[in-house]
Amino acid sequence: MKKNRPSISKIISNIFLILLAIITITPFAYIIMIAFGKNIIGTSATIPKEFTMLNFRRLFTETAFLSWIFNSIIIGITTMIISVIFVSITVYVFSRMRFYGKDKLFKFIMLIQIFPLTLSMVSIFRIFVTLGILNDIKGLIIINSTLSSAGLVLLAKGFFDTIPYEIDEAAMVDGASRFQTLIKVILPLAKPMLAVVAIQSFVIAYNEYVIASTVMTQGLNTMPLSVGLQSMISGQYGTNWSMYCAAAILGSIPMIILFYSLQKYFIGGITEGSVKM
Amino acid sequence: MKKLLLMILMTLMVFMIPVFSHVKALETSTIRVWFSQYEEENEALRLIAEQYQTETGIKVDVVSRINIFNAVSDLVNNATLDERPDLIYMQAPDIGALVSSGYLESLNTIVNDELKSRYTEVALSAFKLNGEYYGVGYSVDSYGLIYNKDIIHEDELPKTWDEFFEVAAKKTIFDGETPVIHGTLLNSKDMWFNYPLLKSYGGYYYGLYPNGEFNPYDIGLDNPGMLDYISKINEAKEQGLVLTNKIHGESEIVSRFANGKVGMIIYGLWYASTLQDRGINYGIASLPDQDNENISKALTTVQGFVMNKFSLEKEASLDFLEYILTNENQQLLIEAGNNYEKKLGTRNPANLSVIQSDYIKSSEVLSSLSELNEECEAFPNIPEGRIWYNYTSQTFQSIFFSDEENINYINKLTDLTDKIRDDVRLMNYRAERIEIPSYIFLVIIIILLLVVILYCVLKKKRIGKIKSYMCKPKWKTTLIAWALITPLMMLLLIFYVYPIFHNFYLSLTDYSGINLRDYGLIGFSNYRSIFLSGFEGLVSMTIWTFGFAISVVVVSFILGVFISTLLQKNKVNIAKIYRIIFILPWVIPTVITLLMWQGLLETEGGLVNQVLSFVGIDKIPWLSNPMMAKFSTILVMTWFSFPYFMVVSSGLIQSIPKDYYDAAKVDGANSFYLFFCITLPLVFKAMVPTLIMSFIMQFNQFGVYILTAGGPVADKLGEPGATDLLITYVFNTAFNTGRYAVAAAYSVIIFVFIALFAIASLQISRKAMDT
Repeated sequence: MKKNRPSISKIISNIFLILLAIITITPFAYIIMIAFGKNIIGTSATIPKEFTMLNFRRLFTETAFLSWIFNSIIIGITTMIISVIFVSITVYVFSRMRFYGKDKLFKFIMLIQIFPLTLSMVSIFRIFVTLGILNDIKGLIIINSTLSSAGLVLLAKGFFDTIPYEIDEAAMVDGASRFQTLIKVILPLAKPMLAVVAIQSFVIAYNEYVIASTVMTQGLNTMPLSVGLQSMISGQYGTNWSMYCAAAILGSIPMIILFYSLQKYFIGGITEGSVKM
Repeated sequence: MKKLLLMILMTLMVFMIPVFSHVKALETSTIRVWFSQYEEENEALRLIAEQYQTETGIKVDVVSRINIFNAVSDLVNNATLDERPDLIYMQAPDIGALVSSGYLESLNTIVNDELKSRYTEVALSAFKLNGEYYGVGYSVDSYGLIYNKDIIHEDELPKTWDEFFEVAAKKTIFDGETPVIHGTLLNSKDMWFNYPLLKSYGGYYYGLYPNGEFNPYDIGLDNPGMLDYISKINEAKEQGLVLTNKIHGESEIVSRFANGKVGMIIYGLWYASTLQDRGINYGIASLPDQDNENISKALTTVQGFVMNKFSLEKEASLDFLEYILTNENQQLLIEAGNNYEKKLGTRNPANLSVIQSDYIKSSEVLSSLSELNEECEAFPNIPEGRIWYNYTSQTFQSIFFSDEENINYINKLTDLTDKIRDDVRLMNYRAERIEIPSYIFLVIIIILLLVVILYCVLKKKRIGKIKSYMCKPKWKTTLIAWALITPLMMLLLIFYVYPIFHNFYLSLTDYSGINLRDYGLIGFSNYRSIFLSGFEGLVSMTIWTFGFAISVVVVSFILGVFISTLLQKNKVNIAKIYRIIFILPWVIPTVITLLMWQGLLETEGGLVNQVLSFVGIDKIPWLSNPMMAKFSTILVMTWFSFPYFMVVSSGLIQSIPKDYYDAAKVDGANSFYLFFCITLPLVFKAMVPTLIMSFIMQFNQFGVYILTAGGPVADKLGEPGATDLLITYVFNTAFNTGRYAVAAAYSVIIFVFIALFAIASLQISRKAMDT
C-alpha cells in the first residue's frame, strides 16, 4: 500500500499537467493554423481549407517586419541588461543596508506604480520632448528600463530577503568588501531571481505598445514589433489575421529562446533535494 | 570604497548616456508630410516631391505612418515641435476636435472653383466645417451593394428597398428551418451599413441648421419612421435575412459571403483580394433608391490632406498641396495606392480626371466603386459626430435581441436620443475658469514635500526614542545607500511622479477633446460633477472589479506555485518541455490569444462547446450569459497570468531550506500538507509586494475589453456591461464625450482609492507575518 501511494499521486499530477498543457496549447494551435491558412476572414475558430506559406512571405516582402523585430530585440536586450543592473543594486541596498528612510522609500516605489501610466500619455510625451528622446529607440529603452525595474524591485526584494544574512557576514569576515560580497556571493545565489528579472524585463520591453506608439511617429522602420503588429490589426482596410498570426508566431521566438536558455537557472536546486523526498 | 564610487559612476553613466547623446538636426526649410501606411504610395509621393524640388528648390520630407487612426493624437502632440508636420493625411470625421482646438489651417485660399470642378463634391464637403474648408479629399471610403453574380443576376438587382427585400427573400433557400443560402444578411445592431436603409424610412443622423451646419441636438433616431424600420428588420429576421447571433458582426457576414452563401451584402471592397482568391464572382452596384426621386447615399469617410496651423512653411506647404492635387499627380498616387496592376481597391479616387482614367475604367470593380462616389453622405465632421454612433449598437441589441415579451420600442429610442443629447450637452459644457497664478502649484508641491520630510524626521525621532536599544542606521550608510539608488529614483521621479502631478493638474482644468490647447484652471468642478453624477452603477462595478482582480491573482498564484512544485518533482527533461509550453500565454502577444479565446468560447460552434457536446454536456453560454461571462473572464485572465507565478515561484521554492520539509515529513505530513503549509506560505511571504502589484495590474486590466468588450451589455442604456471593469468603463464614458479632464479626475480618485487599499493590505499582511 505504501509503495503504491506515490505512483497514484504521480499519475494524478501527470494527468493534471497534460490537461493543462492541452488547454494551454489549443489557442496556439489555432494561431498557427490561421498563420498558415489561406483567405481567412475573422478569427472565429474554423479550420482553414487551404494552407499556404504566403502569409510569411508577405510579412517579409510587404512589411518592415525584419526591422521591427530587430528594433524590438535591441530594445529588449538593452532593457534587460539595464534592469538587471538596476534591480540588483537597488534590491541589495534595500535588503542588506540599514539606512534612514528605507521603509518609506520602498513603500514609495510600490505606491507610485499604482498609477496607470498608460493613461497619462500627455505627460509622458512632454517628458520625452523635454529630454529630447522623441522618435528615438533610446527613449523606449529608458522608459522600459524604468517600468520593468520599478516592478521587479518589488519582486526581487522578497527573494533577496530569503538569502540568510549570515552568508554576507561570513564573506565580510573573510575581508570581502560590500561590492565583492554582492558580486561574488549574493548575485550567484540570486541567479534564479535574476533570470526571472531578465525574462520579465525583456517581455515588458518587447510587448510594450501604448508608449511606443505615441512617441515613435516618424517612419515605419523605426517601430518596435508591438506597434507594427498592432498596425496589422487596425489596418485601414480589413484585418489581415493570417499575417498578424504569422508575425505573432515569429515574434515570440526570441522570447522562447531566451526563456529556454535561462531555464537552467531556476531548476537544479531542488531536484538534488528531491532525491531525498 | 573606490570600487563603490566607480560603481555609482557607472550606473549613473548607463542612465545618462542615452539622454545626452541625442543630437537634434534642425531643418526648418523643408516641408514635412505625414502620409500613408503603404510604402508604394509613400514612394510615389517621394518621387513627386523630388520633381517638386527640382522645380522650386523646396525640399519635401515624406514620412511613412503606421496607421491613419493615430493622426489626431500625434498631430496634437507634435504640432509645435521642431519636427512638426506641415501636411497631414487624415480622415475627415477626425477634423472636428482639431478645428475647435485650433490645430488646423483653413484652406479656403486654394479651394477655388477650379479645384472644385476637378473633385467630387463629397471630397470637399467632408472637410467643410463652420464655412471653412480644412482639407481636400484624396480617397473616398465608401460602400455599395456587393452581390454574388452566381446567385443574383445583374438584371435582378433591386431598384428600391422594397425590391431589395423581395429579391432577398426569393433567393433565400431553406434546409428545413435554417437557411443555407441567404438572399442578403443584415446586422441588426449596425448603424453604419444600415444607414441608407434607415434613412429611407425617415431616420437620419443629425439635423441641419438653416446655414447647413450640423445640429447635434436634433437627432433623427426617435421619429415614427424608425418604428417602421424596426418592424421591417423584424420581418426580415423571420425571413432569415438578418444575423441571429447577437455576438456576430460584419466579419461573419463577409465570411459567409466569401463562402458563396449570401446573395448580396451592403459592404465595401475591403476584402476584395480575399473574395477574388476564393473565386467568388462578384460585382458592386449602387444601393437601392429611397424612392423615385431620391437615391440612397452611403455613409462615407473621406481621407485627405489637412494643414497644421503651426506650420512654419505655410505658403510653401499650400503650394506643394496644390502640386499634389494636380490631376497628373493624383493619378500617380492613386495607382501606387492601389498597388499598380494589382488594383486592390484600397484607394478610391476623389479626383474626377482619375475616375475617368483608363487605369480605373479598365477594372470593373474599381470603376463601379468610383461611380459610387456620387452617392455618398459624408460622416459628420463636427466634434460631436461620433456620439450618435456610440450607443446605437447597445440600443439596437436590446431592441432586437431582448428576452422581454413586449418591448416598448419608442421608449428605447427616446432613451437613446436623450442619452445622445445628454452627451452632446456634456461635451459642450464649459465650466467657468478661475484665475490662479501658476506658481501656486510649485508652492503646493514644495509644501507637500516639506510636510513629508518633516513627518519622516519626526517619526524617526520618536522611533529612535522608543527603540533606542536597536542599533540605529548610520548616516554614512544612509548616504551610500541613497547614492546607490539615486539613478533609479531619478527615473521614477521623472516617469512616475511627474505624470501623477501633471494628471492631477489636468483634472483641475477644462482640458477636453474640443479644447486641447488653451485649457485653464477651473478648480474642482470636474470632481464635483463626478460626485454629483452619482455612484449607482459604480458601486456594483467596483465590487466586481475587486472580485475579479482578487480571484485572478489568488487562483493564478496558487496554480502557478502548484505547477512549479509538481515540475520540480518531475524528471528534468520532461519538466523543461512542460515549462516551455506553460510560458506560451506569457510570451505570445495577448491581443491575438484573447481573440482566439473569444472564438473558442463562442456558444455556437466554439471548440470548447463542441468538445463538451461529445461528453454530452449541453451548450454553455460562456460569454453571452452575464454570470458565465464573468466566470469565463476570470478563467481566461488566470490562464494568462499563471505562467508568471510559475516561473517566479520556481526560483523561490528552491530557496526554501530542505530541513523544513524533512522535519514535517518526520511528523508524518503528506504532500498536500507540505504544499499548503510550507511551500505556499513561504512563497507568499516573499511575494507580498508582487502580489499587491499584480492585483493592481488586474484592477487596471484592459485585456478584458478585447475579450468581451465589457459585455454582455446591460439592458439599460449607459449602464456598465457585466464584465466592464471600473477603469475601462469610467474612461470610456469620459472619452466618449471627449472630457479628458474628467477622465484625469477619475484616475486621481481611483489612484487614491487603490493606494489606500494597498497600504492597508500591506499593513495587514505584515501583521499576519509577525504573529
